Amino acid sequence: MNRLASHAILAAAAVLVLALLGGEAASPVLYTAENTSTAAHADPATIQKRSPGDADALVPLMDDLLGQTGTLALTIKLRDYESAERDLARYSELSRQFDRLVVTLDVSGTDIGEFQQNNRKNQEALEALLNDTRRFEDLKRLEIEVQDGEQRMAIAYEGEALRQKMREGFSAYAKREPATTRIAEHYDLNTTPYQQSVEHFAEVADAADDWRPATGGTAASPLAIAVTPAEGRYGDTLRIGGRYAGGVPGTRIEVYVDSRAAGAATLDADGTYNHPYRIGRIVAGPHLAYATAGGIYSEVATFEVLTQNTTITLALAEVNRTAVACTGNLTIGDGLPVAGAPVLIRTDDGTLAAAETDENGTYRTEIVLPGGEHTLRAEFHAAGYPLNASESPAETVRVRGEGLSPLPFVAAFAAAAATGWYLRRRRPEEEPVAKAAPVPESPGETPPQVEIAGLPPREAATVLFRALRTRLGIPETKTPRDCARIAPAHAGFFERYERIRYAGETPTDEELRAMEAEALGGGEGAA
Amino acid sequence: MIRMAGAKKYSAAAVLAAWLIIVAFFMVLNRTLDLEVFFVLALIGLLVVAVLIDGAFSRPRYMRYIGYLIAAGVALFAYIVAEKILEILAA
Amino acid sequence: MAKVRREAWAVLLILLLAGGAVYAHATTTTEEFSRYNVGWNGTSNLAVEEVRDLRGLPPGATLLILAPDVAFTAEEVGYLRAFLESGGRVLIADEEGNANRLLADLGSTMRVRPGNLASLERDHVDPGLFTGYPVGNATIFSGVETVLLNRPAAVTGGEPLLETSILTWDDADGDGRIGGSETFGTAVVCAREGNLTVLGDASLFVNAMLAGNPKFIENIRPVLIDAAHSRTGTANPLINAITWVRETPAAAAAFAALAALPVAWRFGRKIDD
Repeated sequence: MNRLASHAILAAAAVLVLALLGGEAASPVLYTAENTSTAAHADPATIQKRSPGDADALVPLMDDLLGQTGTLALTIKLRDYESAERDLARYSELSRQFDRLVVTLDVSGTDIGEFQQNNRKNQEALEALLNDTRRFEDLKRLEIEVQDGEQRMAIAYEGEALRQKMREGFSAYAKREPATTRIAEHYDLNTTPYQQSVEHFAEVADAADDWRPATGGTAASPLAIAVTPAEGRYGDTLRIGGRYAGGVPGTRIEVYVDSRAAGAATLDADGTYNHPYRIGRIVAGPHLAYATAGGIYSEVATFEVLTQNTTITLALAEVNRTAVACTGNLTIGDGLPVAGAPVLIRTDDGTLAAAETDENGTYRTEIVLPGGEHTLRAEFHAAGYPLNASESPAETVRVRGEGLSPLPFVAAFAAAAATGWYLRRRRPEEEPVAKAAPVPESPGETPPQVEIAGLPPREAATVLFRALRTRLGIPETKTPRDCARIAPAHAGFFERYERIRYAGETPTDEELRAMEAEALGGGEGAA
Repeated sequence: MIRMAGAKKYSAAAVLAAWLIIVAFFMVLNRTLDLEVFFVLALIGLLVVAVLIDGAFSRPRYMRYIGYLIAAGVALFAYIVAEKILEILAA
Repeated sequence: MAKVRREAWAVLLILLLAGGAVYAHATTTTEEFSRYNVGWNGTSNLAVEEVRDLRGLPPGATLLILAPDVAFTAEEVGYLRAFLESGGRVLIADEEGNANRLLADLGSTMRVRPGNLASLERDHVDPGLFTGYPVGNATIFSGVETVLLNRPAAVTGGEPLLETSILTWDDADGDGRIGGSETFGTAVVCAREGNLTVLGDASLFVNAMLAGNPKFIENIRPVLIDAAHSRTGTANPLINAITWVRETPAAAAAFAALAALPVAWRFGRKIDD
């Protein structure tokens, strides 16, 4: 096979390989040991590690929460209100941490979720107990100081209202005990502080009961209150109202639900008042309502809020190359939208994005994601709502990811230019020599007679070089490389001689014969 | 039979081929075939071989155009490096 | 002449490399738990001594039965019983439930219950790779604080030796999170009755997991492995042939004699010398 064919085949093969590799250039990692796993085991070296996270903090936190109920109830019973405030602050902080942890670990569907709801109700109950007990103390002191009969009646009514609140609060608290204890025992928690807290709560409520006869009778408050209907669901409007015996029409009646102001009503001409109360963000279960007119407290009425199921939907749309828009609706079973509710969007790597529904129950948010396939799910954790939690089905979306940026191309161009400049700088003799006009061959000159038999090969080569140089008419001051440029037809000869002369190579006999033939005016056979 | 003239050229090519085979062997052993890593190691091999066979006093024909090849290789190398830096900054 | 030798050396080198690659390819497999599998799911790095006959077991040794898939005959059960009574320890590592038959025959109340255990207390993204905690005092877990488990099965009965955390559930629907009817509860992964220990995770002995529990592997050594019933063999006929030759002294001697023939021919005297 001659050289041209072999060179052509090599060039074609090189071009083919480069083309094949170039086709893969967009994804240069051709193969990696992927997440290999079988049914029996997975290769831990290929599974991503994740930070150990807070899963081991979950159970100890539940233990802490139960312990806090015990200390808080005890300090309330002992009337050490400063410590009680501190304990309450700590308890709220722990509850907040626990709520965050439950959402992050995605365990709200288990009995831990039920524990969380009970804990929140317990916290509110204990907070109400603290405020009520403090107010109760103030009333007892006032009762001793005040002489005026009307004011004493007002104090009596308020005290009766407080007593009823504490009594109702205790019965709800005690009703939650079996379920909470059962869950706590499942996780091997210490339930003694919690059970003690129930006892302390009972004692505080009993102490309030004992005070009642001392005020002289169980006179019913002139301000009556009733809640109709006595139970409702999210979105329903209850009517809180009643009759105020002996009240002046036009007086302002303030209505409280669970110790928080829920609105005001004015007394009508016929001595009744009416306040519509819409059930919004309030937990399910029993609640208290009472009213005040000036200093007169009404009795306490209870009403029940029932839970309902919710449905949440999720739709994904692409906004640009890196962001995805998530929209959806949060509704109750019969289509009533839930307004102003917090919605969480969970991505497949565990991060959570928060959104809020507007007055139509629709939420919309944009999430920035890296390129690739992602699975998203919308969740509604019914924190503080009389609704059950719900989650949407998982939706997948493909994010295109960032496009090509121009910076690498600029870097490549700059590197090529720098390399070119560096290599040019090393070979300055390109320019001057090219200007020398190639000396034309003068045919017909007699070839010089040279004798190389008997000489060592390198010396023979030197002799032949000189002969050729003279034959071509190149001045003797020119080096072999200069000769190669001046007479390109014999470039091979001069290059070979340059290696022999300066790089210490030794020519073979064959080569010498070829060089001799060329030097003496033979063919083009370059060595 | 290996030709005498151009023996250096052929041994240089053989060494470069052996280096590429060694690199490929270890990549297969490591169960990861990454074109960018292979290209960078091949470029290093080419640069080393070019420096070693380049004589100070002569420039054979096969060394005349190696400058262009090296420039193209360095350009692609700069592209890969810039891309990796952008990847690290974006993360 | 020197050039010819150089070319020949190069060709010889390439042939040697290729021969090495072919040998490595032919003498290894990718079967799970096999001693000849050098990949991540083989047991080639487990330094054990293989035993094929349960008769002559030294008293006081530890016998490991790894992921058994061959049934035990009544005779073999008898040998195992005798071994247990003589003070030897038997460690059965099984995550599919094949060992339940043997456990019933040995009169034990322990059983392996395969399932899809997942836990929240883990260091990896895969919910099946989680940590177990030793309870009680067993010599094989002395000095071990946590054990990295790899999709284990639960073990019922016996005295518990290795328990998971309370935040573990059986992921029946395989979605990686707890939901629906799944509940949290601790699971026992290793239990013992006398000298018989049952470990619900055979994956602790594969090559990729040996580095995860170094103290545990150190504690059970020196250990014999029941090669006749464990899944550490291979179906590859070439490997089995090589092993048979290595183990039968007569065959090994025959092969050595065969190897000597070409050498003898090359360097021996010939008729026309």
